[in-house]
Amino acid sequence: MFSLLGGVFLGWSLGANDAANCFGSAVSSRMVRFGTAAVLCAVFVLVGALLEGQAGIETLSGLTSIDLEQAVVITVAGGLTVTIMTLFGLPVSTSQAAVGAILGIGFFNQQVNLAGLGKVVACWFGTPIGALLVAVVIYQALALVYNRLQIGLFQADMLLRAALVAAGSYAAYALGANNVANVTAVFVGAGTLTVFMAALIGGLSIALGVLTYSRGVMETVGRKLVRLDPFSALVVVLTEGLTVHFYTLLGVPVSTSQAVIGAVLGIGIIKGARTIKRKTLYGIFTGWFLTPPVACFIAMCIYFAMHLEYVPK
Amino acid sequence: MFKFLFKKEQQLESLISQYLENLSRTQEHFVKAMNTWLDEGLCGQFNFLIEQTHKFESKADEIRDEINYLMYSRALIPESREDIMILIEQVEVIPRIFELILHLIRTQKLKIPDIIMLDVKDLIRISVESCELMIKQIDLMLKNRQGIRALVSTIDHNESHCDHIERSLMLKIFESDMELVHKLQLKELIIAMGEVSDQADRVSKRVNILTLKRRV
Repeated sequence: MFSLLGGVFLGWSLGANDAANCFGSAVSSRMVRFGTAAVLCAVFVLVGALLEGQAGIETLSGLTSIDLEQAVVITVAGGLTVTIMTLFGLPVSTSQAAVGAILGIGFFNQQVNLAGLGKVVACWFGTPIGALLVAVVIYQALALVYNRLQIGLFQADMLLRAALVAAGSYAAYALGANNVANVTAVFVGAGTLTVFMAALIGGLSIALGVLTYSRGVMETVGRKLVRLDPFSALVVVLTEGLTVHFYTLLGVPVSTSQAVIGAVLGIGIIKGARTIKRKTLYGIFTGWFLTPPVACFIAMCIYFAMHLEYVPK
Repeated sequence: MFKFLFKKEQQLESLISQYLENLSRTQEHFVKAMNTWLDEGLCGQFNFLIEQTHKFESKADEIRDEINYLMYSRALIPESREDIMILIEQVEVIPRIFELILHLIRTQKLKIPDIIMLDVKDLIRISVESCELMIKQIDLMLKNRQGIRALVSTIDHNESHCDHIERSLMLKIFESDMELVHKLQLKELIIAMGEVSDQADRVSKRVNILTLKRRV
């Protein structure tokens, strides 16, 4: 059980950080109470992990063969990478950190499933681009319906709030279903956990992060990330949920933050406005490209250091 | 369908309806006071109606405070909160102008000369009509989006008409052989009266912008 702590920590930090992508805009703008958002988010994360987390867990656990010791190294390296990138203020994807660390161990074992890796990397590129396209389509389609509704200010307001809560819950479901693999898939690969137990422990640890430590991130990151009108915020959250859910069906863990960034860029294209500053974009791309090699390097270093032996002359 | 989830919004909607209803009552008493003054001069009934107008104006302040309190306890999305607060700030200028006009008349003991009586009655009638249309327009904005633009155009037309009457009144006043101090007193009164339709027009345009802003 002690060996699972690294995974639980990774899940906790994932929950604390990524809940903002589901309910950040609703909480930071005081549309929904933090308590309500956190409970909804935690419940849907857990339900998503249990109902649809299996495919991602199987993909990640099949990237390379690992034992329990290597699984622990992977979760610790993933957690360290997330912490280091966060300290440098770079946006970081837990999915990329986990896959990078798995690859580091895979290189040591000289056993990497290249087909599986290709699929994962292709999906990383596909996440923001796909989200951008989905956001454009959803925005146009919903706007067509919304503008035809003969409703007053109060009804429009209630409709948007209810839709934002529903979309946030759906995004939380997709987060749990997709990202649970980052947390506990390696323990399935090591033969320590069954897929169901991995989904349950992973889902619970993400939910714990949401309930205990996501308030600050929801209130600050949510405000920074989505400074959009309520309708655009709804499109962004819905797009994020749909995009991440799509990759869940493919069995590939992706980043919810990258889906949000793609969706926000899509809104910018429709409105002819720059929704993300150029400096922020550079930071996003730097984080995007650096995370997998950094996690890979850290995992290799930890594993190498653990196997150094003192050889007396 | 999910109305039970939005109790605060329903409470707020009812408070805004109360606010608009109260505005109509303020306006009703203002019109009665003006008619009493024009027909009977300064009298006890006129003073009573001033007090009634003041009572409704104070009541409006209380409702506004309740609306603000409710909005900051997480009712509505932030954008709507801001829009409603700005709108109410603009609307509440109108009852203040009503009070200002009535106090000008009472404190300066004003009397309208016969040469401008009809024009003054017209100015009051059209200004009040603009206010009624403005209240209807706000109600439409809260309940349904249709018909707002038609009202903007009528209120705008009324405002131009009031400006025309105001200019004509000024001309008549300053061409008359009244004492200069009396002319200046009437000038102040006419400017305040003209401000009613100006403010109704400002609110009406604001309502139109808020409606357009909600289109995506």
